[in-house]
Amino acid sequence: MFKYKKFNFIPIFVLLTFIPIIFKGYIVFILPQYILFGVLAMSLAFIWGNAGILSFGQASFFAIGGYTFGLLIKFFPVINHFFLGSLIVIFLGFVVAVITSYFLFSAGVKATYFVLATLALSILTEQLAVTKSTLTGGWNGLFVDRINIKVGDFTLLDLSGDVNFFYLILFISLITYLILNYLENNKIGKVLRGIRENENRMLAMGYKTSFYKTVAFGVSGSVAALAGALYAAHASFISPSIAGVLFSTEVVVWVAIGGRYSLLGAFAGGIIVSFLSNYLSTITPQYWQLFLGIIFIVTIIFFKDGLAGIFKKRYERNNIK
Amino acid sequence: MEFIGISIDVFLITSTLALAAFGLAIIYGLIGVINMGHGAMLTLGAYLTWYFMSLNIPFFLCIIFSGIGVALVGIALEHFIIRKFYDRPFDTLLLTWAFFLITTEVIKIIFGTDFKNIEAPIAGAFEVFGVNIPAYRFLVCLFTIFLITISNIIFLKTDLGIKIRALIQNKEVAGLMGLDINLTYKAVFCFGSFMAGIAGGLIAPMLSIDPYMGNIYLVRSFFVVIVGGVGHLLSGTVIGSFLIGGTETLFAIFSDQVVSQASVFLLAIVLLRLRPNGIMNKKDV
Amino acid sequence: MKKNKKNKSIVNKKISRRDVIKSIGYLAIGALASPALIRSAHAANPIKVGVISPLSGAWTVYGKAHIAGFELAVDEINAKGGVLGRKMELVIGDSKTEPRIVVEQANRLIRNEKVDFLAGTFSSAERNAAGPVVKALDKVLLYPTFYEGQEKEYHPGVCNKNIFMFGPEPTQQVWPHMEYMMNKFGKKFFMIGSDYAWPRVTNMVTKRKLKELGGSVVGEVYIPFGTPQYESVLRDIRKAKPDIIFHSLTGSDTVNFRQQFAAAGMKEDFALWTVDDEEVVTTGLGPKVSGNDYVSFDYFMSIKHPNNAKFLKNFRKKFGQDALMNTVGVAMYNAAHMAALAIEKAGKLDTASLRENLKGISFNDAPQGPVTMRKDDNQIIVPSYLMQVNPSWTNVGNMFNEVQSFQKVVPLAARCSLPL
Repeated sequence: MFKYKKFNFIPIFVLLTFIPIIFKGYIVFILPQYILFGVLAMSLAFIWGNAGILSFGQASFFAIGGYTFGLLIKFFPVINHFFLGSLIVIFLGFVVAVITSYFLFSAGVKATYFVLATLALSILTEQLAVTKSTLTGGWNGLFVDRINIKVGDFTLLDLSGDVNFFYLILFISLITYLILNYLENNKIGKVLRGIRENENRMLAMGYKTSFYKTVAFGVSGSVAALAGALYAAHASFISPSIAGVLFSTEVVVWVAIGGRYSLLGAFAGGIIVSFLSNYLSTITPQYWQLFLGIIFIVTIIFFKDGLAGIFKKRYERNNIK
Repeated sequence: MEFIGISIDVFLITSTLALAAFGLAIIYGLIGVINMGHGAMLTLGAYLTWYFMSLNIPFFLCIIFSGIGVALVGIALEHFIIRKFYDRPFDTLLLTWAFFLITTEVIKIIFGTDFKNIEAPIAGAFEVFGVNIPAYRFLVCLFTIFLITISNIIFLKTDLGIKIRALIQNKEVAGLMGLDINLTYKAVFCFGSFMAGIAGGLIAPMLSIDPYMGNIYLVRSFFVVIVGGVGHLLSGTVIGSFLIGGTETLFAIFSDQVVSQASVFLLAIVLLRLRPNGIMNKKDV
Repeated sequence: MKKNKKNKSIVNKKISRRDVIKSIGYLAIGALASPALIRSAHAANPIKVGVISPLSGAWTVYGKAHIAGFELAVDEINAKGGVLGRKMELVIGDSKTEPRIVVEQANRLIRNEKVDFLAGTFSSAERNAAGPVVKALDKVLLYPTFYEGQEKEYHPGVCNKNIFMFGPEPTQQVWPHMEYMMNKFGKKFFMIGSDYAWPRVTNMVTKRKLKELGGSVVGEVYIPFGTPQYESVLRDIRKAKPDIIFHSLTGSDTVNFRQQFAAAGMKEDFALWTVDDEEVVTTGLGPKVSGNDYVSFDYFMSIKHPNNAKFLKNFRKKFGQDALMNTVGVAMYNAAHMAALAIEKAGKLDTASLRENLKGISFNDAPQGPVTMRKDDNQIIVPSYLMQVNPSWTNVGNMFNEVQSFQKVVPLAARCSLPL
């Protein structure tokens, strides 16, 4: 379908790299959180664009990652939080995603029902975060201390300042993008797209479709969980609302607008739309959601491939001449 | 004694849930549109009812007017947007979700964000076996039973019902039979919206009216329809409501509210897996 | 371990997509930076207060009175020439009723908008979210809402030297009236509240006094947000046979519960005492559902005090005859005035002097009567009113009847390491 030029991710990342150099202060503080939303969006685009699996549950993995990371820092002060913590989070996200999706896909549950199950997953995660309040702080939320990246006693990277953390998050986002892009352009991506087009045909060709779908969802879950862990570490705070339905649906809106078939589109969509809605909501608390809803509808009807699709068409038009 | 109290509660909850889910059962069940805006339709019905009540129109008429109001909105939604996407369930899902976002904001803008309330048209409660049953609630439950029974008769016994069921079973054949498919879809969507509007209005006196009230029933309604069996209007909705509502009540006896609510969703997911086509595997409506 | 800057040399001039993405990026960033640019163009040097209010989301209903109180006070202050010759200016942040947005807004207001201090947040969860931010960035937060009291384990949301509490805590809101209620109705309490910090800790503190007075708790239920049906709770209540329903539900759940409670005819059998439903919620309930129930706060619109008459007159002039005010809005009003007084007293404006001078300051024009900010634990000393809802009320003017009141209720010392 869409062929990706090998280096088209460079401009976005270069642009982001220069931000802390040109601007100082608040934006260096807040932009990493939006970048992590971009990563979360990529986790959705990976399964939605390729396998056609829509998930209203990405927020729950995000929250699982965030809470796990925060609790590890809080209750296990001795372990290496960054490396070991990240691994635990990625693993946990993967496992939860795989269990949930295998449970449903192996019984042949239709994709349309799966969506509702992911919706329920968000609700469940939110309830869990609220009710286990002695552990998670309930609605009060969980405070997460800032940590540094250590190897043994040696501090590899001091994360107390904004700039270092900014580049760390940017770097991790880049790696995540490259990994997802690689998966997309290789066997698993092709199989997933085949499943999206015609699952029965893939089955007839001998592919265990539920296996591929499960693995894909697992990857998506672990990426979302990692994003959540970094978010909790950066924002120093996480609360149950980040697990809930409203945030999950926001992710869907980001990806729909950014472009579900494009990782970069989703990444940009996550950053731009979440930034825009926060910005608009300060200016016009009453009407911004209305604008967003309208943009969303217009995008679904006319710009199914999102912003990325619009640019793609211009690119193709430019190249043809 | 306790058992009777619990049974009555389960009955009340089941019928309320069935009423709320019915509009969705129609739209999702008959024409396959995953109406994520169902909650917004309930909310809209409640607000319209409040509005008409403030004009001192009798409650019963307010309900009818609200139903009509939401039906009109539903027709507009169907005609201008949904109509082109019937074969793409994911897109209808997203579009109806966008409908929810927009409708909620419009409601906030028009009606403001204060708590609104409607007094139950029939006050008081009566005692049955030592349990107080609010009179209004009880009437709503009776009405729900009436509603579902009538719909059952329409869909099973009348000409129109048979045609609609034929349409769902096989679109091409229905076309050959001379049914105007577009019109039928419109009619069903309209009817489903009408039902959602009525449900919203009837439930309104029991709840606080705020812009998000309908969404409490959104996910529950979906599970009712799916667990019960998509397309099985009568039996599916009732059984689904009973399972979802009943288990929530039962769990609440043994543990706290949060656990019971979470357990219900967990149960729904499990049921989804065991019976991907719903509890009722028969093909009847 | 800085990321290697990628080479920009791979650019195909024909492709416009990247350029467009870049331009959008720059535009967005410019927009983010612009408030700072615009501000520096302004001549005057106002005192900037960051106000965080729930203007959207689940608790939008409370947002209006919340911010109105502060706005009215700022108008009055500026009409008299401002503070130290400078006008006060509000910079508003919408919390969307979500603690994590509060964290964002607090950071934005302090770091980007460079406010001098913060006021607001509404729920305890929101305040607790702001706690670490105001601690780390060393700014004062004026918190208006009635809350659960300061227990050390919730530091830095409480027991935080930068956070000043302008609303009552349970030893002020609940304790003074327990004896009266228990003598009148009986000693068995059934506690129902929303599932978060404020109801849980309030109940815990209430239980202490309850035990002292020989009472008992026959039921304690916590309801998750967004629960529509209360059959099982109502059944539990009937089974437990309490004398008093002690109620701390919030948001739409309180309306759902109280409506269903009334519809089940249970108002005749049980007395209901709420510590959460003020004018806004009661208006939404209607007289049939709310009539004869008991409410306790430090302020009601129905209070007969000369300060209140004056306050309401000015309030209605600015916001209209039908506008609603409540304990939280009044606390914001008091907070603004007391902060202004503190700054005047200090002669300068910085966090440390604001903090030092808020301690012990009194405000005699508070609508409910003179109030004082206690020195040691940043807790305000306010009156406490027990009101009963008039069963045939028609507007806020005749909504509540006073049952008893205490002008100055001294709360228990905060359970922190004092002084703050």
